[in-house]
Amino acid sequence: MLLRKLIISAFGLTVLILGGHSFYSHRHLKEAVVLGPGVTDVVKLGDYFDGIAGSINDCNLYILDSGNPGATILILGGSHPEEPASRLAAWLFVENGLMTEGRMIVALSANRSASTVTRLSGAYPSDFTILTKWGGRKFRMGDRWSSPLDQWPDPEVYIHSPSGQELAYVDIRNFNRCWPGRANGTITERACFAFMEMIRKEKVDLVIDLHEAELQYPVISTIVAHERGEELATFVSMMLPDMEGFNMGMEFSPKALHGLSHREIGDFSDAVSLLFEAPEPFLDATRGRTTREQLLTGIDEFVVKAGKAGLLFEKIDEKGWHIDVRIGRHTSAILQTMESWTEIMPDRPLSCEGVPRYAEVIENSTGHYLHNPATSSKVLYE
Amino acid sequence: MSMTAAATIILGIMVAIYIIAKYFKLSTELAMLAAALSGSMAGGTWLAPRHIAEGASTYLDINLIFISATLFMNILKAAGGVAFVVRAILKRFHKTRITMLMLLALLLLVPGALTGAGSVTVLITGGLVAVVLSFMGITKVRIAAIVFIIAGLSAAAPPVSLWAMMTAAGVNMPYVGFFLPLLIPCILLALTTIFILGWKGERINLEKAFAELPPAPEKMNWIRVIIPFLVFGFLVFMGRQWPHTTPIVGLPLMFLLAALAAYLLSPVKIEIYKISRETIKQLLPLIGTLTCVGILVQMMTLTGVRGLLAVTAVTLPVVVVFGFLWVLLPISEAVLMYGAAPVIGVPLVLLFNNIGLDPIIALAGMSVIWPLGDAIPPTAIIGRLTVDVVGFKGSYGTFLKTCLVPGLIIALVGTAMVVFSARLGFLTGL
Repeated sequence: MLLRKLIISAFGLTVLILGGHSFYSHRHLKEAVVLGPGVTDVVKLGDYFDGIAGSINDCNLYILDSGNPGATILILGGSHPEEPASRLAAWLFVENGLMTEGRMIVALSANRSASTVTRLSGAYPSDFTILTKWGGRKFRMGDRWSSPLDQWPDPEVYIHSPSGQELAYVDIRNFNRCWPGRANGTITERACFAFMEMIRKEKVDLVIDLHEAELQYPVISTIVAHERGEELATFVSMMLPDMEGFNMGMEFSPKALHGLSHREIGDFSDAVSLLFEAPEPFLDATRGRTTREQLLTGIDEFVVKAGKAGLLFEKIDEKGWHIDVRIGRHTSAILQTMESWTEIMPDRPLSCEGVPRYAEVIENSTGHYLHNPATSSKVLYE
Repeated sequence: MSMTAAATIILGIMVAIYIIAKYFKLSTELAMLAAALSGSMAGGTWLAPRHIAEGASTYLDINLIFISATLFMNILKAAGGVAFVVRAILKRFHKTRITMLMLLALLLLVPGALTGAGSVTVLITGGLVAVVLSFMGITKVRIAAIVFIIAGLSAAAPPVSLWAMMTAAGVNMPYVGFFLPLLIPCILLALTTIFILGWKGERINLEKAFAELPPAPEKMNWIRVIIPFLVFGFLVFMGRQWPHTTPIVGLPLMFLLAALAAYLLSPVKIEIYKISRETIKQLLPLIGTLTCVGILVQMMTLTGVRGLLAVTAVTLPVVVVFGFLWVLLPISEAVLMYGAAPVIGVPLVLLFNNIGLDPIIALAGMSVIWPLGDAIPPTAIIGRLTVDVVGFKGSYGTFLKTCLVPGLIIALVGTAMVVFSARLGFLTGL
């Protein structure tokens, strides 16, 4: 009996030490950001709202100001950090982008708390590495929801503010269910509120919230647009097949579905709000082995099988959905949106150079556009 | 090797190790842990301490709710509150069996409907109702079945139905229009269950019942009993009525505050340390099960076994899906608990939507069936909790057999709601 207790205790202690080390390393992994030629300033989200200053969600905001007249665009990466292409696409803008007209503000970790935890029972890897010519860059894999270490407990039902709509209790930690946020709310709600404050104070004209979705989710490979962004989104959706070589649909933001960026940012500020979805088989409930390789290549036999049974809303074959393809879709869609915006509103132009488009990311890989922090003088950490 | 072959082999190894562990008389919890670890090893991820720890934390919140709610009820029991209430109910309603059964069904439906957790029903009103039912001449096994089935229905009942909410969130559907599609079947099926299992019994012999019941302390009264429940109800009400000005305290702390009220209002001295120890001892097997189930599910996800089960289930022909919903949903619940909603619920709702069914009614029908799985191993969390709370000492298999008839009726009604959902769309009010 004593021996059994000793063996179980030793097992528990081993798991505690090794598991604890893994969780600690994950939460404190420093992700390098090499500031590109276009970054003119880096501020904190907390600069716009004291209620978030100094907290885990006081993320960096990278400002790329052309110095020339034009509109202001906000790119939100990391609303759901379990969707890595959304963060990495934004990363490519910070490390490579140079605005020539107008101004761009980029968040790489919109919900930083959610980037420090992985989903319970999801078996996610804690991190993944993008290979480069000079080595590799390691990034945190995150979750859809803020970490319970930062926001706990959950209520028995989440009642959204200000709509009063009832949502699943866990969604009180879902950054894209908490818009427009509350000044005295949870850390997730306060983060959304801080972004709203920033959008209002910086007079942001256009917000693009980057996401990825499981292939069995009906809102995929699409632009979800607030009604004030319908013309723009339709234009982009029409241009992408010819100009970039891939399709993205366009959907209206449902008026009865609250808490989402495409609905609430448009309703509670003057900005036009769009949300981009790229396919991520890693998120599918029917996925097979949960590995870093699957996360990056998007190759999954079971998801293909689900597709053959007609259960998916996006095509998938044995080639999967490589992260380069997903990132390239986002960068091209953003650039195309800026070009379309400029055509519709020539007096408030937006123009950006240096960021690879869809075909270039696929040809050269994402790592080609990530720079070596060891040889760069301007490096920050997320 | 193909992904299907690899996952099938790993699943086979996990099942084999589970059976071997049980053969060598290991507890169910340790057998599940052994199966999980063998799956991880077979999958090439070895010990995977991060995943063991993460899996073990999956049901931490539920464990805390179990502990705090059971402590509350144990304090109330030690204070003589339970005996007092049972005596009062028997005295007032002992002559009218129908009214008594309907009231007891309602009493069981409310806590789970408000919180979305069948375990809360079992812990809050289950024990109390069980005592009253036993004086109505109903056997312990039937009482356990009544409490379990209605607790499951209470969890599916509106306003909070976690299966419906989580699946709806997974398909980008607002949690709107579910009230009547969930309420009507839950009430009707709860009444059906309590009448089927509780109709036969003895007329209550009040004198005998009072003689057998433990005496209530002299100073015990309704105020002392009701105030702890009011504390809990008030905290829930505050969170609902003023969600944005009320601090979020969470269910565990709500139960602890109710326990504190019961402790302070007790007319007799409460040995809080002893009761706390006994509560943990009482719940330890349950906590162990939940912890090990979390690890098992995590390893199944890591190795692709969960994906194999999910893709196999959802790629069956539609007619087969209809025919096997009554098996598929409870089993998915037994393995994944609420995780069944995103894993199985989401693809099924999309499938039903694709073939022209009403997704809200179909999801409501599925939500009614899902809780039945809470009695099925490997988890059997609510089933085991119910047996424990009710005090049924017989075999677990007998308990399952007793649940069979109402369970099949529920499965039939739920399946009919899915199949005929297009015609029942008017219930959504949309």
